[in-house]
Amino acid sequence: MSDLPHSDWMNQWQTMARQYRDAWQQMGRVPDAAPLFAMPSWPQGFEQMAKGFSAGGNAQNNTVENLVSSAKMYAAFMQSMLGATMQGNASPDWGDALRQGFASMGAGATMPAGLFGHPSMAQWQAGAGQGSDPFAQFRQAMGNLRMPAANGLGDFKSMLELPAFGMMRERQEQQQESAIAWLDYQEQTARYNALMLKASQRGFELFEGKLTEREQPGRQIDSMRALYDLWVDAAEEGYAEIALSKEFREIYGAMVNAQMRVRSHVQHSVERVATEFGMPTRSEINSIGERLQSLRREVRAKGTDHAIAAEVASLRQEVAQLKARETRQSRTTIVQPVDWEERPVRTPTTAATTRPGQPASSNKATRAKAKGKAVSRVVETSQPAGRRRAARSAKAVSPTLAKPKKRKVDQRGARKSKAVAATAKGSFASRVQTFTTASRGQANSRSKWKLAEKPADPAKKSGH
Amino acid sequence: MGPIRIEPARAFEEAMTTQRKLAAAVATLRSLEDVEFGVSEKEEVYREDKLVVYRYKGERPPTAKVPILIVYALVNRPYMVDLQDDRSLVKNLLARGEDVYLIDWGYPDGADRWLTLDDYINGYIGRSVDAVAQAAGVAKINVLGICQGGAFSLCFAAMHPHKVQNLITMVTPVDFHTPENMLSNWVQQLDADLFVDTLGNVPADLMNLCYLMLKPVRLFQQKYIGLVDIMDDKVEMENFLRMEKWIFDSPDQAGEAFRQFIKDFYQGNKLIKGGLRIGSREVRLSDITMPVLNVFAEQDHLVPPSASRVLGDHIGTKDYTPIAFRGGHIGIYVSGRAQREVPTAIHDWLAARSR
Repeated sequence: MSDLPHSDWMNQWQTMARQYRDAWQQMGRVPDAAPLFAMPSWPQGFEQMAKGFSAGGNAQNNTVENLVSSAKMYAAFMQSMLGATMQGNASPDWGDALRQGFASMGAGATMPAGLFGHPSMAQWQAGAGQGSDPFAQFRQAMGNLRMPAANGLGDFKSMLELPAFGMMRERQEQQQESAIAWLDYQEQTARYNALMLKASQRGFELFEGKLTEREQPGRQIDSMRALYDLWVDAAEEGYAEIALSKEFREIYGAMVNAQMRVRSHVQHSVERVATEFGMPTRSEINSIGERLQSLRREVRAKGTDHAIAAEVASLRQEVAQLKARETRQSRTTIVQPVDWEERPVRTPTTAATTRPGQPASSNKATRAKAKGKAVSRVVETSQPAGRRRAARSAKAVSPTLAKPKKRKVDQRGARKSKAVAATAKGSFASRVQTFTTASRGQANSRSKWKLAEKPADPAKKSGH
Repeated sequence: MGPIRIEPARAFEEAMTTQRKLAAAVATLRSLEDVEFGVSEKEEVYREDKLVVYRYKGERPPTAKVPILIVYALVNRPYMVDLQDDRSLVKNLLARGEDVYLIDWGYPDGADRWLTLDDYINGYIGRSVDAVAQAAGVAKINVLGICQGGAFSLCFAAMHPHKVQNLITMVTPVDFHTPENMLSNWVQQLDADLFVDTLGNVPADLMNLCYLMLKPVRLFQQKYIGLVDIMDDKVEMENFLRMEKWIFDSPDQAGEAFRQFIKDFYQGNKLIKGGLRIGSREVRLSDITMPVLNVFAEQDHLVPPSASRVLGDHIGTKDYTPIAFRGGHIGIYVSGRAQREVPTAIHDWLAARSR
């Protein structure tokens, strides 16, 4: 503590207290007319300040509300600490001062529970609902229902479980169930609060330990803020120990579940009244919403199914047409792409192009022309049959996409793959066409091909 | 010698300083308008129900060929990634040439009460990915999932690996049963069915309260007492208020999705234990074969690092990169270090995989 002589210290303190009061006066908000020697109420000063903000209609009122609430607690803490120094004692009882300070913060008994006075915490106590307090009416209805002593709770509950009878039997049962739910919620809340008390006590234990660590010279606490921050650290550590425990898991879950049961009973009561007045209920709206969402999923799924089915049907049709066309083509010749408008059709050399046992056909280009499509130019070749098949697969994959400039008969497998890959960039239908046409020349390795996926792989596998 | 050595003069000076700052705060707070957020220009590219997919525009056209789609959590608003000029993950990614898209989930209301995780993941995310891929003219895109959105992205990537070029997860819970996970501890005994049947959509205020209760003294009280220190600084106050607005600007949670998330992820831990089904499909993390970058925060009190860092043990990819960021769950977006380190790490990692 201070090394000042007692009389000097007292003079100094009175001077400072006067300055403090003057400062409030300059702000135009004198907290009260308390004697100078007795420290004026800081929390009250913050209240005045909060009113000043509100009167200004500032958009940041929520922050101000939280700020003022916290600042009031802190101010109470500081005032208590200052009060300890005010005694003029060379060795003030910091232990008492701290206890008093935390008690004035609302943290004396239960540290985190003391925060229940905080604006945000009020929401949870009100049931954490949206808008108004959902339990207000319920509490009013249950006004006379007080938590019995622990030893009488069992009897009380058993009374509420007595069978109902008569015309109002159902309603009486619901009321009994609501009362039991409410009692259970009270019970679980009490357990939760007891656990918070335990967390608070643990926080103070840790705080004492942290203070002990700072008894060494150089590590001492020399400001109220540092003291407060140290307490916060300890309080959080103590709380975390509890909040991570299995005990907390069980009690917290029980409390939340109990609250949900109470809310559920409140909702049923409200719905009953709404039904009596012919008003729509939440259950009905839920039911409609669920059906609507279900319907949306069905519609979307069916839309997807239809799209897939249509595409499959279209592809099947195309494949069938291509197969039919291929059958006709295979009877004639090896072809290479050519623009019909630019290049004349030549009669195929049947000796070089006709497969054994298959009749030749010479009117392929004519038929294609009739369909208005670009067709392929007939290639005259004397190469071996294997190379011819390779060339055919490379060059005849897509009459509309292949380029005339690359019309070279002795194409090797690698080029064949490139051609497939190039044409595979088209639509799915064109990819199928590509595959179907290309695979004609892959009689021995057809199973290695995969539709439009990794087009280079087959070439690798086939050693190209 | 005792542990407390508070000189009266020092104590009094503290009190006076506090008082002076509060007095200055009156003028500061009154001079502040409602804070703005979201600094990067953006355009809408896809809309469905309350969901909107935006494409952000940088000062220069993107150089990256594959776009990034940011999938944020449902529990907070996504503008945290583009909060203000000097605190923006989006802006920093754009500056590095990335092409950035983002899913804004909107604010669910009663009409969204029956949305399931299937609707969110295979539905909304799936169609958003398709829309982005179509807009960018690519077959696959990069997905950047954040927090709960990271868990969703893992599910999506596992079920639709052919649509994801690279996957990036930030502060993403994977193992929901690690001992440091306070939220997980709290919901283990929660009757999720009763909870959702009673509440319908889960109120945002309730969610916020749960987050605050993770560190009640620090978040309810100390934070505001610390505010006194900056109350006479208009810029700092604006930063504080912007963050404060984001923290409490939370959407309600669609009931059915919340129910499944609590039961299957938090209680069942099925993401790593197996048996997780989203719609008609089973989610197997081993099906994630694309490159994965996992960024987690070492001081994260919401998603403990232990919950994130195990990702590499469960996914099927051979290209996995974990990055531990020195900071917390929020700091990973808004701290000064985050501005320097996180966007660079993401960009460099993606660039190395685009060569």
